[in-house]
Parts: sequence; C-alpha cells; structure tokens
Amino acid sequence: MHETDERRLIEAAQCDPDRFAEVYEANFARVYAYVARRVPVREEAEDVTAEVFQQALAGLGRFEWQGTPFIAWLLGIAAHLVARRWKRAAGKEEVPVDELELAVNQEHAERQTLFSQLIERLPEDQRRVIEARFFRHRSIREIAQEMGRSEGAIKQLQFRALGTLRDQVGNRHE
Amino acid sequence: MNDFNIEKLNEHVDALLDGLEPPLDADTLRLSELEDVAKELSLLPRPEFRASLWENLASSSEQRAFSNAGSARPSGASSGQHDVVIPPLFSSSSLTFPMRGSHLAVSFGLHVAALALITASGLWVVQNRAVVRSTVAQLIPVDHDYVMPIVPGKTGGGGGGGGDHDKMDASHGTAPRFAAEQLTPPLAVVRNEHPALPAEPTLVGPPDIVLPQSDRMGDPMANILNPPSNGTGSGGGIGSGEGGGIGSGRGPGIGEGYGGGIGGGVYRVGGGVSAPRPIYDPDPEYSEEARKAKFQGIVLLTAVIGPDGRPRDLRAARSLGMGLDQKAIDAVGKWRFKPGMRNEKPVSVLVSIEVSFRLY
Repeated sequence: MHETDERRLIEAAQCDPDRFAEVYEANFARVYAYVARRVPVREEAEDVTAEVFQQALAGLGRFEWQGTPFIAWLLGIAAHLVARRWKRAAGKEEVPVDELELAVNQEHAERQTLFSQLIERLPEDQRRVIEARFFRHRSIREIAQEMGRSEGAIKQLQFRALGTLRDQVGNRHE
Repeated sequence: MNDFNIEKLNEHVDALLDGLEPPLDADTLRLSELEDVAKELSLLPRPEFRASLWENLASSSEQRAFSNAGSARPSGASSGQHDVVIPPLFSSSSLTFPMRGSHLAVSFGLHVAALALITASGLWVVQNRAVVRSTVAQLIPVDHDYVMPIVPGKTGGGGGGGGDHDKMDASHGTAPRFAAEQLTPPLAVVRNEHPALPAEPTLVGPPDIVLPQSDRMGDPMANILNPPSNGTGSGGGIGSGEGGGIGSGRGPGIGEGYGGGIGGGVYRVGGGVSAPRPIYDPDPEYSEEARKAKFQGIVLLTAVIGPDGRPRDLRAARSLGMGLDQKAIDAVGKWRFKPGMRNEKPVSVLVSIEVSFRLY
C-alpha cells in the first residue's frame, strides 16, 4: 500500500473505528508471519496475533504518523508481546524492529499467504486431508474415518499434497 | 514415491505436529523438502482464525460499536452479531477513545445554548408574526386653533411682549382673550388693585381665536409657576419683551415678533418653513388585542416637532382603536427628527404622521 493511501486509511480509522477492518485486512498476514517465526506453536502465535490487534485497536487513537510504515508500529507491539513471552520462558530481551526485519518479515508473510492460496487450489480430497491434518490436528485414523477411506489412502493423499505444494512453491520462486 | 516414503513422511509429520523434531537420518534427508512444506503448513494460521479474530475484535463488549462495519467486514467473517453498543461516555476503558472533561463541558454548554437559542427564536417568531411597518406618510393641513396661518412670501409671526422690569422671569399662566384693541395689558402681578377705570385685559389679535383661560394670568410658555412675576420686560404686559403683550416680542400680541397676534409658537410647513424629517423611527408594536383579532389599519397622529427634533403634543387625529392608537403614540414619541427650519433657524412645526399597522 502506498504511504499516502496508508496514512489516509489510518487517519480514517482513527476517526471512524469501522475502518479498522481495512487496517486489519491489510496487515494481518504480516503480523501473523512475524509472530509465527518467533512463537513456533500455532495456538500461541494466534494468541499473540490476537493480542497485537486488540492493543492496536485500543491504542489507534494515540498513534501519530511519523513517516514510518504503520506495520512497523504493529510489529513493535508484536515484538513487545513476544519478548514478554520469552522473558517469562527464558529471560530474553525485547528486540527492536528494524528495516531488515521488516523486509524479511514481508517475505515470510508473502510465503504464508502463497501457501494459503495454494491449499485452496489443491484437489478436493488432498485439500481436505491437509486442512484436517495441519489445521485441526486430526490423526490419519480420524481422517480416514471422516472420509471413509483407508489409512493408507489418506497417507498417500498427504504425501501427494505436500509434493504438489512443494512443486508449486518452487515454481513460483524460480 | 513408494510406501516406505509415504509412511516415513507421515511419521515425520506426526512428530512435527506433536512438537517434536523428526529423526535425522538418510530417509529424513530425502524427505526434507516435503518436511519443510509440512513445517510451514503447521504454522499457517487456521483459516477460521482470521475471521474469528475479527469477530472478537468487533464483538468485544466495549468495542461492539465498531462491529457495524457492514461491507468493510473482512471476508470470511461471520455476520452473526451486529448489535451496536455505544461506548460508555464516562468510562476510562482502554478500548474507547480518550475523553476530556473540559471538552465534554464545552460541548454540553454549546448544545444547551444552541437549544435555548432555537427555542427562544421559535417562541419569538410565534409571538411576533405580526410585524409592523410604520411610515411618516405626509404632512397634511392641520386645523389648529393655536396656529396662525403663514402667508407665503411674508415673514410669519406677529406677537408681543411686555413686563414691568421685575427681577424674575415671567411666571406661567394663561393669556387673556384676543380683541381688536387693547385697553389694559395682561398682568401676572397687579400693582394697582384699584384702578380709576377698570378694564378687561386683552391681547391684540383675531377675536375668533379662542385661547384657553384660567384664573391665573401669565406666559403660557414660561416655566416658573411661583412666585407670580410680570417678567423682566417693559411697557406693561408679561414677559421679556415690550409693549403690553405676552412673551419676548414687541407689541400687544403674544409670542415672538411684533405688532400683535400670535408670534413664534408652532409653524406649519410651507411659506418658508421646511418639513421636519425623521432620522430615528423605530416601529411601533402591535397591541395584543389587535394581533389576536388580526386587526389592521392606519392611525393618523398630529405632533409638534420642536426645534430640538423631539415630538410633543402627540394626538390621534384619526383613531383606529384596539390599543393601536396608544401604541402609535408610544412609538412616535420615541422618534427623533431633523427639525423644520424657518429663516435658517429650527422652529416648532406641526406635522401629521400616518402609522400603518399591517399583519403579514
């Protein structure tokens, strides 16, 4: 998003909280990707991401535009929350978000978005297996029962789906 | 692809999803690319998380006012709850925007003032729908007993004056009647109470002009009521003039000028006398009675506009009733005029003033 457009959007959201939906849509993937790289457990990453947006919504009125992208402010909140978790776990210090960090995070966010899109394009049975396996943490046996297939068939669908995703991600990056 | 790889990959996925590191062996190396994909998938946000997070943001108890985003709601978000809850005015919740007490007070005050202004103006409009227009219409001929006709081309006036060298100015009183000739001048203080030949005091002037009479003789224009005085003039009579009349003139008449009759006093327009012009003429009010009856019409007033531009001796020459005559007199009494002029001097001029009462 162009800086001017983003600034207009933020200022609009400060005046009209309804516009926060657009801010959320524009920044969700990058915030989640940033958190997921530091909190490698999905449930925890989701909790932190939710907290980031809760704090952003509450503090949006106090946000002042100083030339840096709005995502830097969001990732600043995320960094603080992640560090708080680390501190509780191992006493790590909070790390400020710099420009390199922003660029790397952008790549991760794009890659995650790409994976989400590619899953949607998988054949129906492969997509169902991937969603059940990786998003709902179902076992092969449970999926086999849900789909009325053998466990071996489910394993085979899982193998093919991962292969398809690998090939398609590889093609996009070549 | 073979069954071994499929089985091995599944074992690694199981370990990954359980938060364990897959065993590092030759098989793992062969499957590493697929494992990388699986690792990324294991960290992807669940599709429903994105929507449910927005749902939580929008429907949290203190933030539900923000949930009516309508078309702005992120795609995939549930369209369940749309209740709009206004954020509490005095709360200090972190989810509401900060509120300053001074701003609230100023805002409240402005709203109250605006409401009062609207209410007051509405009441005023309802009560004063009858707006009144008034005009000085024209100066019309006046049949007035105290005004001598002015002959165009000649100096107006006549008049007279007198006195007996008293140290005090003449005292107030009425003038004697007019007669064709004068045997005895009027006196406020009779020095000789037993004259050899008593005669009625008179002024020289048109006998058909009847002046108001009383037991107390004096100068009608004088301000002093007591003690009685014939004034500082000479030659008999009352006033500062001379010649047996009343006033400051010379001769047996009354008022300014000389030779008898009535001098000075009130003029009419014409014959070298210019008309007064109103310079401040506030509109009269409608009487409540006439307003309710939607009564309209014209009141004709007569007034003397003095040399100071103030109206006096206001009377309703043509009455309208319903309290409008008095309203017209009250209003015109506040008017101010550029006085009528005679010989480049301001003089008292009798005028008629037409006051129109219209409802519209």
